[in-house]
Amino acid sequence: MMNKTSLIALLLLVFAGFYPLFVDSAWLAVGTTFLVFACVAFSQDIILGRAGVFHMGHAMFFGLGAYTTAILNVQFGWAILATWIPSVLIPMACAFALVAPIIHLRGDYLLVATIGFNIIFIQVLENDVFGLTGGPNGLFGIDVVRVFGYDFSSQIHMYYMAFILLGITLFIMRSLDRSKFGRAMFYIHKDDIAAQSMGISLRYYKLYAFILGAGIAGAAGSMFSVQYSAVSPEAFNVTQSIMFFTIVLVGGSASLPGVLIGTFVMFVLPEMFREFETARYLVFGVAMILTMILRPRGIWPVKFGNIPSFLKKEAK
Amino acid sequence: MDIFLQQMVNGLTIGSLYALVALGYTMVYGVMRLINFAHGDLVAFSAFVGLSVYGSLFSEGTTSLLAVVSVFLLSALVVAFVGVLLERLAYRPLRTAPRLSAVVSALGAGLVIQNSVMLIWGPNMKIFPTDFFPSTLWSVGGIVITFTQVMILSFSSVLMVGLYFFINQTKIGTAIRAVAIDQDAAKLMGINVNRIVMIIFIIGSALGAVAGLFIGAYYRGITFDMGWMYGLNAFVAAIMGGIGNIPGAMLGGLLLGLFNAMITGYISTQWAETFTFVLLIVILVFRPTGILGEKVAEKV
Repeated sequence: MMNKTSLIALLLLVFAGFYPLFVDSAWLAVGTTFLVFACVAFSQDIILGRAGVFHMGHAMFFGLGAYTTAILNVQFGWAILATWIPSVLIPMACAFALVAPIIHLRGDYLLVATIGFNIIFIQVLENDVFGLTGGPNGLFGIDVVRVFGYDFSSQIHMYYMAFILLGITLFIMRSLDRSKFGRAMFYIHKDDIAAQSMGISLRYYKLYAFILGAGIAGAAGSMFSVQYSAVSPEAFNVTQSIMFFTIVLVGGSASLPGVLIGTFVMFVLPEMFREFETARYLVFGVAMILTMILRPRGIWPVKFGNIPSFLKKEAK
Repeated sequence: MDIFLQQMVNGLTIGSLYALVALGYTMVYGVMRLINFAHGDLVAFSAFVGLSVYGSLFSEGTTSLLAVVSVFLLSALVVAFVGVLLERLAYRPLRTAPRLSAVVSALGAGLVIQNSVMLIWGPNMKIFPTDFFPSTLWSVGGIVITFTQVMILSFSSVLMVGLYFFINQTKIGTAIRAVAIDQDAAKLMGINVNRIVMIIFIIGSALGAVAGLFIGAYYRGITFDMGWMYGLNAFVAAIMGGIGNIPGAMLGGLLLGLFNAMITGYISTQWAETFTFVLLIVILVFRPTGILGEKVAEKV
């Protein structure tokens, strides 16, 4: 028998698979961006929800991936396919280099430091360092994906590429839960001091989460730059970071359906109410407060019993 | 040398403003362990309230002590009221919730205030009345000091010294310190924690309101979204000094103001924010809890 959650998941999957057949191009683009943002939100969730690190600069890693693809393609003429590997590796390397010296900071101090990284990143982009980033206007004219003479250039192609990317991300998230990393995260989340006494290195796992999260965000960034065939600094500023941060908490941290709902609520809903341009964010702010008061652990919180399911299975 | 002294005066002026705002962040954090992301927007709100109070009570071009006093008092009152309301509606229901939920609520509250200001006063930049303070300026040994700068420096020092004594010498101040150390123990000693939190929000918002009015009088142009920038700088100042620590916020504010002025005066304006955050990160690498922050042992 299938339980309710899997049934809903299956229905959603079918809906998402056939979504491009029902909608016009504007909503198709919204759908593609939703899938990309969901990937970024999951990667933010690895750091914020699972590792419990207060991280409010995730748009930087997203942007690093996007700009890596854009710069390599526009300035150096690489094929998009070839830029995929560096667009994952460069954010990972940056995450390691930047976060390793400050990973020991207490929650709120780390939060400001990560906001700081994001702001420095934006200034680097806007000041057009080495003439590579295109300054405040960004870069445009990014190529499409070409494989053996076949161009994946239509909006529908973009949608399904993002769909596959989200599939890979979800697979990683599922695997994480069942891995050594996932178990370590679970204990750190429950009680970090007890976890440390059992020999789990907080520093190692927090850094691990950052690097993994940065890699996924980088891949999503690369997809994002190809979808819009342009990148500009304001798509990766602190406001975006705050959005990813909020998505995880509004949806429910460490919860797969929660993060998807969060992405829907924080990104798709505002798109739906575009006609109420002026009052939209006022209502939005009120909704954020109300959601947190009514559901402090998010809309779809993760249900952790006292004994995690992976231990229950072995006990049987 | 002249540039150096001039930038020193400018830096201290901006620094005092940062310090006033940083006090609001640090006091709320000290008692509630909450980063009040809406505080910066309250500062912006205050500048607009001041604009309306001046516009509706006084004819254009009035420069009088009465105008200054009434604008400051009324704006501080209105902003303090909104601050208390904010705590009641957005933060109190979340006192026992996970810490980050309150942060999201604060972000939401910031959006509400910012967009309310936009709906009430419009999205365009407004000009703060130029005659609010007399436009007198003094030239001392090659450096120029305006009346507004003197007002900012003197009034904010008075407020900060006053706050320091209030926290350390009075009965309510003692209660505030007690609640910051341990809420449950403070409750058992007969301290009304809700009332202390209310007082914290009144003081913090009123100090932010004063800073907002000074920002209007000093920089002239005010926009509905300027709270984010001043709020972030002040928050960085509070973190540099050690968040939760009142002298730390004052020190952090002045330090950041001076540093900013020197960077923009001597190096570049384009990279000002980068330098700010590099300084912050360097400070945090060597002093993980800020300059005056104490090392807190984790309780098991």
